[in-house]
Formats: sequence, C-alpha cells, structure tokens
Amino acid sequence: MKKVKIGIPKALLYYKYQVMWRSFFEELGLEVVVSPNTNKAILDLGTNSSIDESCTSAKIYMGHVEWLIGKCDYIFVPRIVSYEGGDITCTKFHGIYDIVRATFPAAKFLHYNVDYAEGHTQEKAYSKLGKELGAKPAAVKLAYENALNALKNYEKGLESRQEALVCAESLKVLVVAHPYNIYDKLIGEPIVKALEELNVGVLYADIPDTIDMCKQSKTLSDSMYWRYNKELVGAIGHYKDDIDGIIFMATFPCGPDSLAIELLMRKLKEIPMTTLIVDSNFGEAGIQTRIESFIDIIEAKKKEAAHAV
Amino acid sequence: MQYRISFPHMGKYYIPIKKAMEAFVGNYGEVILPPPITKRTIELGALHSPDFVCVPFKYTLGNFIEALENGANVLFQIAGDCRLGFYSEVQEQILQDLDFDFTFHMMELNGKNAKGLYEVFKAMNPELTLPKVVSTLAVVVRIVYAMDGIEKYIRQNIGFEVEKGGFERIEKQFLAEIATAETMPQAGRIFKKYLKKLKTVALNKPAKPLRVGVVGELYVLMEPFSNYFIEKELAKFGIEVERFITASYLIFSTQHNVKKILKQADGYVSYEIGADGTDSVAKSVVMAKKGYDGIIHLKPFGCTPEVNSIPMVNKISEDFEIPVLYFSFDAQTSETGVKTRLEAFYDMLEMKKRGRAL
Amino acid sequence: MKAYLGVDIGSISTKGVIIDGDNRIIANEYLWTEGNPIAAVKGVVESLQKQIAPEVQVMAVGTTGSARKLIGVVLNAQIVKNEITTHAIGTMSRVPDVRTILEIGGQDSKIILLRNGIVTDYAMNTICAAGTGSFLMSQAKRLGLAIEELGEMALQSENPTRIAARCTVFAESDLVHKAQIGHKKEDIVAGICTAVVNNYLNNVGKGKRILAPIVFQGGVSKNVGVVRAFEQILGHEIYVDEFGHLMGCLGAAVLAKNSGVEQLFDFNIQEVDFVTKGRECELCSNNCEIIYIYRNNEVLDAWGNRCERGLSA
Repeated sequence: MKKVKIGIPKALLYYKYQVMWRSFFEELGLEVVVSPNTNKAILDLGTNSSIDESCTSAKIYMGHVEWLIGKCDYIFVPRIVSYEGGDITCTKFHGIYDIVRATFPAAKFLHYNVDYAEGHTQEKAYSKLGKELGAKPAAVKLAYENALNALKNYEKGLESRQEALVCAESLKVLVVAHPYNIYDKLIGEPIVKALEELNVGVLYADIPDTIDMCKQSKTLSDSMYWRYNKELVGAIGHYKDDIDGIIFMATFPCGPDSLAIELLMRKLKEIPMTTLIVDSNFGEAGIQTRIESFIDIIEAKKKEAAHAV
Repeated sequence: MQYRISFPHMGKYYIPIKKAMEAFVGNYGEVILPPPITKRTIELGALHSPDFVCVPFKYTLGNFIEALENGANVLFQIAGDCRLGFYSEVQEQILQDLDFDFTFHMMELNGKNAKGLYEVFKAMNPELTLPKVVSTLAVVVRIVYAMDGIEKYIRQNIGFEVEKGGFERIEKQFLAEIATAETMPQAGRIFKKYLKKLKTVALNKPAKPLRVGVVGELYVLMEPFSNYFIEKELAKFGIEVERFITASYLIFSTQHNVKKILKQADGYVSYEIGADGTDSVAKSVVMAKKGYDGIIHLKPFGCTPEVNSIPMVNKISEDFEIPVLYFSFDAQTSETGVKTRLEAFYDMLEMKKRGRAL
Repeated sequence: MKAYLGVDIGSISTKGVIIDGDNRIIANEYLWTEGNPIAAVKGVVESLQKQIAPEVQVMAVGTTGSARKLIGVVLNAQIVKNEITTHAIGTMSRVPDVRTILEIGGQDSKIILLRNGIVTDYAMNTICAAGTGSFLMSQAKRLGLAIEELGEMALQSENPTRIAARCTVFAESDLVHKAQIGHKKEDIVAGICTAVVNNYLNNVGKGKRILAPIVFQGGVSKNVGVVRAFEQILGHEIYVDEFGHLMGCLGAAVLAKNSGVEQLFDFNIQEVDFVTKGRECELCSNNCEIIYIYRNNEVLDAWGNRCERGLSA
C-alpha cells in the first residue's frame, strides 16, 4: 500500500515543532514532505494568496501551503492557541487553519487544535490526530511520547551548543526574533550571514528553555501574555550580561512585536539595540549596511568602555 | 490626595463609565473626562506611539495625554484578547517617559468583574463597599442597555427623518436624562419615554429601504470619530444601518458566546479566529442570509483578527452575492477617500436594488 | 439640438465632454488642473463651446472628480457624483456588456465589477501608491526614460526581470541592483510593468472575480507594456478605449441627462468671478478647513466643517 503523504509548510510553527511532527508522523507510518526553503517564488505565491495587510511571516506561510498543493495527500496546518498557565499565541495562529481553508477550498488539510484554556491539551490534540489517521490508540500514545522526547533532545542540543557560544571571546549579539523569521532562508538568513561575516557571535533568543524564559520575562514585562514573545523577552534577561548588543527583527506589520519591541526599547537603556523590520520586498543591501553600522557602534562603545577602565 | 480619574473615550459610553467611577471614588476624588476627540488627540497619540501599532492605541494614548494635561492622575484602560490586552503596559511606559505623574489600571472587559473594581477603588475610597459596587454596576448596565437600545432605533431610522435633526435633538435630551438615573427602574422608564418620543418623529421610510450592516473591530465600530462618522454618512443616503457590536452585546449579552457565534458563522470558520474577527464572519453570514443589501467591514490598519476574517467575509460575499466594502483606518486616513467610497457604495446598492443603472 | 455637459476635475487634470441625446461625444477637452480647478474648468468649458454648433443647447450638467462639489456649484450642476460611479456609467455607455473595469491613475487605482449593466462590487487602493501611475513615473525617471517610452520598450522584452515592488523605495533599490548586475533595460522595464499589474491585482483586485469583457482605463492604460502584462496574467483580451480618460466626465454627462432635470446652461461663466477662500475654524482643536465659495463677492456655498458651529461663526 502506498504511504499517505503529509505535507508540512516550512514556515511559522515548523521551526518550533518540526522535529516532533516528523517523528510522530513517521512513526505512524506516514511519509512527510516538507516544502523547500522560502524563495522569492514562494513569497510571491504567498503574497498573491494573502490579504495585503497580513504580516509577511503569514504570507510566507501561505506560499508554502500553496506550494504543497498537489504534492501530498494532506497539508498539515496545526492550530495552537493557548498554553498551560494561560499564555496565548498571536491571533494569526488562532485563525490560520480557517484562513487556509477559505483560501484553498479544494485542498485537503489535516490539523490539530491545542488550546489549554478550553481543555484541549497537546496530548489530547495528538491523540485525536492519530485517531483521524487511523492509528491504534496505543501506537498513537507511543508515537506521541517518542515525538515529545525527540523534540526535547533536539532542543537540549541546540541549547548546549548556544551555551558554548556564550563563553566565546568574540563580539556577541542577541537576535530577538521569532524562529519563523530569523531561521527563514529568505528573510532571516541574510541577517545572520551579515553578522557572521563580521565575526559576530549570533545568539538566538528562542533557544533557551521556554518555561524558564517565560518566568524570567516577568522582570521586563509583567502583563505580557504572548508565549512566543515572552520566551524571547526572557532570553534578554538571561543573556543580558553576556552580550554586546540586541537586534530586534520583526516582519511588517506584526501585532505583538509592534508593542513588545516598543516596550523593550524603552526599558532597556544600557544595551545597544537596533530594529530591523522586514517587508515582503526588503533589500539585502540595505540590511547589510544597517548591520555593519550597528556593529561599528557596538565596537566603538566597547573600546570607550575599555578605555574608561 | 485627591484622585482625578480618567479613561479613554469610546462613543458616548463615557456617560455610564463616568457615573460608575464617580460612585466608586465617592468623596475621595472626581472624574476628569478627556476633552472630546479632535485632530489634536490623534496627532498627539500618533506622535508618541510605535509606528505600526493599530489606531485605537493612538487614539486612546491621545486621550490619556489630554486627560493628564487637564490634571488627571489615575488612568483606566481596558483589556482584551488581541493586542489590546498589552496596550496598558506600553501606554503606561510611554506616559511615564513623557514625565507624567499618575497611576495606571487595566480593567478586564467583562460584566462579572465587580470584585476587581471593588479592590481597585477601595484603595482610593475606604468607605466603598462591595454591595455599593454591585448596585452601581446594576444601574450602569441598565443605562448601557438603554443607550444601545436608543442608538439602535436611531441607526435604523435616522436616514428617513422628514425633518432633519429631530432624532439628534431627542438623543441629546435622552443622554442628559439617562445620566441622572439612580435606579434600574428609573433608567428603564427613561428609556421607554425616549423610545416613545423617537417613535413620534415623522419618518419617510420606504417599505423596503436599503439595509447595510456594519461589522469589524470594536473600537473603530464604536468610536465614530475614528470611523469618520460612517454611520451618519450612510444614514444621509437613506440607508437603514445595523450593527451588532455594542458595549451591551460585548460585555453583558448571553448572545456573545463562542458556541453561538460559531454556529452563526455556519462553517465559514470552524474555530475562533481572534477577538471580534469571529463575530465579523458570523454577523456577515447572518446579514447575508437576512437579505441585507451590503456589508461594511471596518478595522484599524493591520488588525490581525479582522485581517484574519477577510478571506471568509470575501467568500460570504461571493456565495450570497452581497457586496462588502472594506475600510482600514489609520491616523492618516483621508476623509474624502472614505466619503467617495461610501457614496459609490450607495450608488452601487441603489443600482442593484433597481436592477438597472442610475 | 439638446446636449449634456460632463466635467471631471481631478487633482492632476480636468476633463470635459458634451454628449448628444444618444450619449455620443460631440465635444471633448483635457487640460491640466495645475492647482486651480476653477480656471481649468473655465478653460475646458470655453474649448467645448468652440467645438459645438451654435444650435446645440446644453440642458444639464454633471460634475465628478475630487473637486466635483466646488465645480458643481460653479456650473450649477444637476448632478454631482463620485468618480467611481461615473466611471462605471461612462464605460457602460461605450461598452454596454463590460463586466470588469480596471483603472490605474496617477495616485488612485480602482476596480469595478459589473454584471448585467449594474455595478456589483468595487474596490480602491488602500495602502500606497505602488499599484499606481506615480510608481511608473518614479521608476521611469530612475531609468532615465520618459514615461511615454516605457510601454513600447517593454514590448521588446522576452524575459521580464522580476522586480520586488510593493513599495516605491524598495523597488528603486532593487531596480538599481538589477541594472548593475546586467539585466537588459527592456527586461527591467517589462518587469516594472508586470510589477504594477501584480501590485494592482494584489491590493485592489484581491478576491475579485475578473470576468471579460475587461476594460482598462486611467492614465496608465496608455502604456502598452502594462496592457500586455494584464493580458498575460489575466489570460483575457484587454480593451482600451481611445476615450478611456474621458469616462468620468462622460458618466457625469450621462447621469445629468438621465436626471430629467433640464435647465439651459449658460456658457457665459468666463466673466463671472468665482473665488474660493479657505479658513481654519478655531472653535475647537479639530481646526476644520472650511472652504467658502464666492460668486462676484457673494457666498455661494461653504463646506468642510465637521460640526454646524463652524459655518455660523
């Protein structure tokens, strides 16, 4: 029998959960196909199928969904709304499943729904998904546990690699950005590359342990409720003493980031900071120039500080 | 210390809010209303706001600044599900950076929060009791219902007044009188009296007038300044206007319930899509089914829940052949642009109705 | 013979037509507004009068465009209509079975959908000028070309360059970059034309069912490169009317004719002294800009205030 093919769009939550998804589906005997790295053609597809005012990250997602149409049996579009403890996600994640359904009525979608506030835990979501795929409950439970472990191990690996970098001698910059933005080939990688070319160590704010970071975020913002922003804010506190500067990167016109960045810029005064807002047609040349000048400022400050001592 | 309390404007709702807060703070303070919204309000707000934040942030920040300039020292902002819930912390920080001296409170927007209100105001007014809060809220809720009821009738009929200005005059009297209501029955009586008065206003309403429904984000729906008085403009064309989103609906109504809303949405969404977005889809379906002539969808530029709703509203528009006009408001929206689009929308509905060109 | 006058006063240009009872254009004129709508209208009306026979009697007037209200007062018009409606009406008088009107002007662009002779949907650009003529203009300048040259040059391209172009600023840097890495000029120009069409369809045309017959108008419709890009992307023939730029005033004239209200139009407005004065109301910090229009020193009309207080002050 031919394996059922699940298409996973390489955008948004892919960067958080792909290890888990892949493990789960493959263990249940399904084939996984992931859309390629974001390129201009995918961005074009997404721009064409999105409402103009959507954020660039969501437009990229739509492009990946459209790319997968016809290349798999189901396209996997999970819905994650709230987490344990009451944190929620941006409303884009609340709506994305219904948006793709309305936009591509002929395509077939597979989803799960995680909404702790409504009693839909992650475990329940996966068990429902497994059932839908026709797997036995015991097999689904095992696949879920293994998937969860796979994700944990993967995250631990990333964390220890980053911790090693913290001790490096080089200039270090913390990139405060959603993983789906900074790890995206088209909109994020040019930023990282530009930093690495200047021999700057790049720390990612999404890598330290999420739960710890959400707790830590309270010192900078006590009313923040977006999980994906809280973990980034927490990382600022976590790395504060190890870094030379912060780059905020967001896509236009991201709702949570529009406010979170404003608050942080006003609260953090002692660390050099800059903000890069990426639109669906940014120019790489511009980004390079801005990063170079930012690093120049950091270096100058550092020299000044060393002089003072 | 004398507490001078203020809060942002939203349509005429300052009347019940002021009343409640005056009762809560008692002899220990007063309510300072921000001046009515003008161009200055939005200019001030926009000047101190982050670039691509949604426009209600800019208006309400402008209100706060103008209230502080007039001596306010205790500010209230509401919470919400989308970015609105995070307005407070950022606005508080911005106002602090502007060197104003004040305390800032965020209130949950729901009808059952008597306890929370009690705690906040007890700190200002030691004589305040919980029963006082509950009884005040009861009257205030009745006032809000009365205001929404009167406004609904006006929205549906003001376009057909034989003599212009009658409704507005009665509404003014009503608002002045309802502000004085001290008990629920009294508020009820005032409501009935003025509804009766409104019904005596001579109308020239056709049996089947053009009917347009307004859906979208709550602030731009309920603060007429931010939507360029769109309902008034529609009425000028002789259109009956319907709007479901009101304070009484959002805060108190049992109809404002996820299950009911999703049912109304009839498959166009299977889950909530954030804040009022789900309702925009649901109410578009309701009005399309009822044979409304058109829908107007209002949102602040970049409002994620409402942007989420557009693919579905587009689909409803296509399935039911009901035209939808979309507006995205920002601090710099051109008023002439809004008017031109509305006028053309009216022409289109008129043509459709007649089945031929003008 | 009875005839009807329509005038379309935009911020850039002022257009006028006189039509006969069968909606045929018997006189037309096109002038730059140059910030003075009253002078422009006087010029247009004077020229139109010269084009018609003495026995032609203009019995009704319609105005449209951004200064429609002002000029409506000046010309004592029966009909003052927004430009969306007049474009639809005007186009239908030329192409009765039209189902889609695409329009790209200098600052504004719009789409109008019609079914069985009535407007069923429309949209206008909401965000920026990326899908409009001003975008083309700035890009042509950047390439050192005249705007008129763009169209023909684009037609020579076999491999249009991909231009990232939602925003004028971004597009310019992309353009310079593409030119530096050796793209042919005609390919870049064709790429710009395609970008204009994509921007238009993404912003204005989003979610709209574009059915033939399709009419394309507005200043940019003169650009054959953009016309070809529309045809390629939409897969339909695009009809461009030689009088495309006159559809607004044509529609206004048709509506004036259909209004059923007739009054002989007095061409003798040249000597009448119309003056407009703007005054900022100071009764509140809205500072509404109130416009007064005077005819021979007598106030004809005033508007622009948000409340009633301003006018009486």
